[in-house]
Amino acid sequence: MAKTADPDEDLVKRVGAGDPAAVQAMVARKLPRMLSLAQRMLGDAAEAEDVAQEAMLRAWKQAPRWTPGQARFDTWLHRVALNLCYDRLRRRREIATDVMPDQIDDGPTPDRGLLAAETGAQVEAALSRLPPRQREAIVLCHYQELGNIEAAALMEISVEALESLLSRGRRALRTALADIAPQGVVKVAGR
Amino acid sequence: MTMDLERFEHLAGAYGADLRRWPEAEREAARLLLAADPRAGLVLGEADVLDALLDAAPRPAPSHVLRERIIADAAGARLGRTRRLWGPIAWASGAGWAAAACAGVAFGMVLTSQMTAEIRADTVLYQASLTATDDAEILAAGLGG
Repeated sequence: MAKTADPDEDLVKRVGAGDPAAVQAMVARKLPRMLSLAQRMLGDAAEAEDVAQEAMLRAWKQAPRWTPGQARFDTWLHRVALNLCYDRLRRRREIATDVMPDQIDDGPTPDRGLLAAETGAQVEAALSRLPPRQREAIVLCHYQELGNIEAAALMEISVEALESLLSRGRRALRTALADIAPQGVVKVAGR
Repeated sequence: MTMDLERFEHLAGAYGADLRRWPEAEREAARLLLAADPRAGLVLGEADVLDALLDAAPRPAPSHVLRERIIADAAGARLGRTRRLWGPIAWASGAGWAAAACAGVAFGMVLTSQMTAEIRADTVLYQASLTATDDAEILAAGLGG
């Protein structure tokens, strides 16, 4: 495998050596990303905190024996957090008698005059009703801002399969959120 | 490299309106099509509506308590040689230890088990504001470690 440039390499090394300042820097750099990932995958704040904490604990254990050049540390940490999320999603399915629906509810939303916070909550709810792999693709590419090759590798699928998941996920979200789109957002132009 | 509108629509449907999220190798061709074909702009406009909705979802922020728990985990994770020698004392003290010790209060603060999570969070924030110094090394050296 080709050597991968890793912006976290020095920091991981310092963490592994027991540098308290590096630990704090690592928390500042990675915790918000892991919390965001878990929150969007699980839709539950308490569970997301547990996953973020467990992922960071595994980072502490991994840091002293981290070998640079194989994968980016950030990608590895995403994989750890995603596995923890899927463990929890599986447990939910085992506990619940009614399985999470594969298709999101595309019926009309009841209130067209939503406030911004309510819009955000609706988006979060629609995201949580996506099939997990579509949600994962959107979370990785849109929210975590991973590149397509990195996201596909993380999901262990081809870039074409990633694009298919993204397209289906975005289409489903567009349908689910159609009623709030014109009122709920201000279009950003010129990107 | 050129791009037709069908490919442009496919990529916008997958990655949204921000070309920075598109495959790197296709961005330039997409920009050229965008400049040449007004239909491409309409495609991006539609994708942008969903992007903006996605961005409206709340962005969770870690609490101080969560940060504290995670830093405490690091203290228990046997990181580095000096950590093993000094354990929680070195971790709790951090960069501010020496300065606080001069004021005669730090040692008690570090050792007491009664210190509340809020105070620890404040200590962490205070330490973060100081110039980073590995006090664990200094302590270990000073005591022959």
